[in-house]
Amino acid sequence: MILPAAISSALKGEKSLPLRPVQQVMQIERLGAMHQSRLSFMRSLVRRIMRERWQITLHKFELDNDGYGTVIYQVQTANHLYSFVLFSNYLAPEDRNDRVIASQWDLTMALVDGEVSDEYLESLRNNVPKQEAGRVDARVFVLSRANRSARNFDYMVDALARGEQPSVEKISQVGYLYRTTAVYGSGKLGMADWEKVNTHFKDFDRPFSAEMFVCLMLRNFSLLQVEHIAKHRAEFNAGEGEKSCYQPMDLAIKRFIGIGNSTGLGMAPYLINHPQLINRWVEMRELALARIRVLGEVNGAIVEQFLLLLKRAATYTEQTVTEDQQQTENNQAMREDLQKLASHYQQGFSSWQAVLEWSEQHCSLQGQEMLVSILLELYPALVEDLEDHLVVDESMDIEPLMPLAEFLKQIEKHYQWALDVDFEEPDSRAYFWYRSEEKMEPRLGKTNEEPGAERQMPLGIAFAVRQCYDLAKAHLTEHTTHSCAHFVQLNPHLRSSVRRIQNMSQCLYGEIHVNLLDKEVLPMHLLRCKLAFFGVGKFDPKSKLWVRNTMFQGAPLLEEIGQPFSDDWFMPLAPSVQAEG
Amino acid sequence: MHVSMVELKAALRRCFEATGYFVGHYEDAAEMILWLEKHGLAGLAEFNNSLPYINQDQDKQQSTIVYEDSSAIVIDSHHRSSLNCIAAALDMAYYKSVQNGIATATIRNCHNRMFVLKALTDCGRRGVSVVAYWQNGSQVITEHTAAIKAGHRYPNYQQSVIDTDNFQEDTDQEQSLTIICSTRVDLTSSLKARTASGIKNIQKVTHISSEQIAENKMQTVEFGIEIPQPLWDSINQIGEGVLVESSEQSRKGAGA
Repeated sequence: MILPAAISSALKGEKSLPLRPVQQVMQIERLGAMHQSRLSFMRSLVRRIMRERWQITLHKFELDNDGYGTVIYQVQTANHLYSFVLFSNYLAPEDRNDRVIASQWDLTMALVDGEVSDEYLESLRNNVPKQEAGRVDARVFVLSRANRSARNFDYMVDALARGEQPSVEKISQVGYLYRTTAVYGSGKLGMADWEKVNTHFKDFDRPFSAEMFVCLMLRNFSLLQVEHIAKHRAEFNAGEGEKSCYQPMDLAIKRFIGIGNSTGLGMAPYLINHPQLINRWVEMRELALARIRVLGEVNGAIVEQFLLLLKRAATYTEQTVTEDQQQTENNQAMREDLQKLASHYQQGFSSWQAVLEWSEQHCSLQGQEMLVSILLELYPALVEDLEDHLVVDESMDIEPLMPLAEFLKQIEKHYQWALDVDFEEPDSRAYFWYRSEEKMEPRLGKTNEEPGAERQMPLGIAFAVRQCYDLAKAHLTEHTTHSCAHFVQLNPHLRSSVRRIQNMSQCLYGEIHVNLLDKEVLPMHLLRCKLAFFGVGKFDPKSKLWVRNTMFQGAPLLEEIGQPFSDDWFMPLAPSVQAEG
Repeated sequence: MHVSMVELKAALRRCFEATGYFVGHYEDAAEMILWLEKHGLAGLAEFNNSLPYINQDQDKQQSTIVYEDSSAIVIDSHHRSSLNCIAAALDMAYYKSVQNGIATATIRNCHNRMFVLKALTDCGRRGVSVVAYWQNGSQVITEHTAAIKAGHRYPNYQQSVIDTDNFQEDTDQEQSLTIICSTRVDLTSSLKARTASGIKNIQKVTHISSEQIAENKMQTVEFGIEIPQPLWDSINQIGEGVLVESSEQSRKGAGA
């Protein structure tokens, strides 16, 4: 949890590296332009699995010919044995709903500590398919559920059963067989708390690594299931004495199939409620970039690889399908950026500093952030050790000794972005965030049109800072020697704000520079930021409040564990295109 | 019923939020209850005792400073629960002890003082040694003390039951909590000292060492928390007060 001296001295102090300024990095539009990178949690997890050669085997496989039933995988790592338990049930098309308020799913699953006995399996069977309506114990790390992509699933079963390979073009439209609609961990529904996972299970001690592992296992199961159904259908369709037409899926196509994900507003409060964690994630990413800026040697091989990655990223973006107008325009701008970068630096260059500066002058935010991700790909040795420092102790203490005058200076220094908001302007408080009585789903309401503003969640950080600043300033004029201890004792309603401001003022990043109550607020940026840290791709916004995306596309398959691994599944291309490139 | 620590904390936060606690106070209150329960000190039972009065704090006056000098402070909490005021009072004591080496804080008219242990532990972690002392009850008095050394992670806690027939109760002690903080002296406390001096009216002394408290924590982290179903239901039922009714329009606010 505490950073090694070599890292903390690179972040702060005389020997610190040239990190990008907070005003630049924490601007919400830039966070919303981030992409997956070598430090993303999925990449980190897959590296660990491949390097440590986890043994993942089918322990129970009880699926009927239509793919319904129970499956248990056993996962043996160097440290421990886990079980991944999956229930596949029939779901009528009309009951298929990706929203959090749904109550039935095609698949439900759990990641469990140790071996699963018959008795324990029954307990899981009675609870896991119910998801939020069920309860589990502290042996369970993760609960999740997924719905089929009806378009792709049926098509692929039919194709394989006919002895044909699925069309890559079709898979490029929707690159998955299942979409997860929720992945719960960290103590939800009775599961093991993060404190247990982090301290007891080294295999999953990085942020969201158990949750990401479940998604990876779901991806692998989806491939197993689709082949299983196709095989049985082909046998059924074959005439008496005839040979089945079934063909297993081509490995390159398999690798190109990921897992879909729908993410809604629920992810947005997380970023505001865990500012120390977000600070750390951003710090490590920015530190990786700063290391490359200073220490990344530029030579012929690196330039060549850089140009290849620019081309790959442009093709990847071209292959990204979305109906959203804004995303389409962003993708188009980014492709142009990548082409501009490639043309400008075709003949080589001598420093990354110049390339980064050039991109800030000539590229969109999307393009600039893609460049950052590409740079992180080029220097694994400068980047990968930082994945061990993405966890942080999230406790916040008030600093009672801080003189109130100093506190005001801290606000002026670190929260100018919040003080710049004019809260007299009605549009600045046009929205409020609340929890609905429907499964406590986070929602956004219009302040002057919808009931519930008095029960809003405290996500309006900028407004809270403004109130705190004004009252502290007034208090100081009457009590010039008072400390924060006095101020909070006499203004108990500001306790949370004072605590947050003091703690965040010690962080390099952390506070997202946005007024979340504003009429023009785009929560999509928050979702996109967190999803980029997870490592997803193929962003496809469905409104300004939820987004579809793809996880683990291009990741190695289970059967490839133990084989040579280059960790080069960044921005994976459709197989045929890849072959041509 | 089995729940995780994070579930309990989230439910408690909603519960206190719904009863009018300020944001910082409902954050603290949930942490204080969870801390006791997590460390084997019956936080949920203590909270259950306070539950019938949970709504009353919102009508009470905020804590006021009765007396203050450089190394002492007296705060009147006006019969609020310690869940709703004690963390700020400890901040004042911490502040004065860092300034002067040692400080005392007396908090009067404060209920559920057992919850001070979380705030006391925070001070210890931050390099200030703390002793707390309080009494509870009238017919049968329980006497409590807890102490933590500077830089330590877990306190020691003692409780004794006093037969009031043989004991002259100091009425000033009623609902009062005394805190001593020091950056200069490592403070300890022990109710056993009174037994040793020949006082017969202490019937039973319970001592929970910092080692036992640490062990209790490990158990909770491993297995989670068991909570009586009626209490869990009550917490969640009260917490429903923060939820907003659903409508077609509100569903659009979730992206539907």
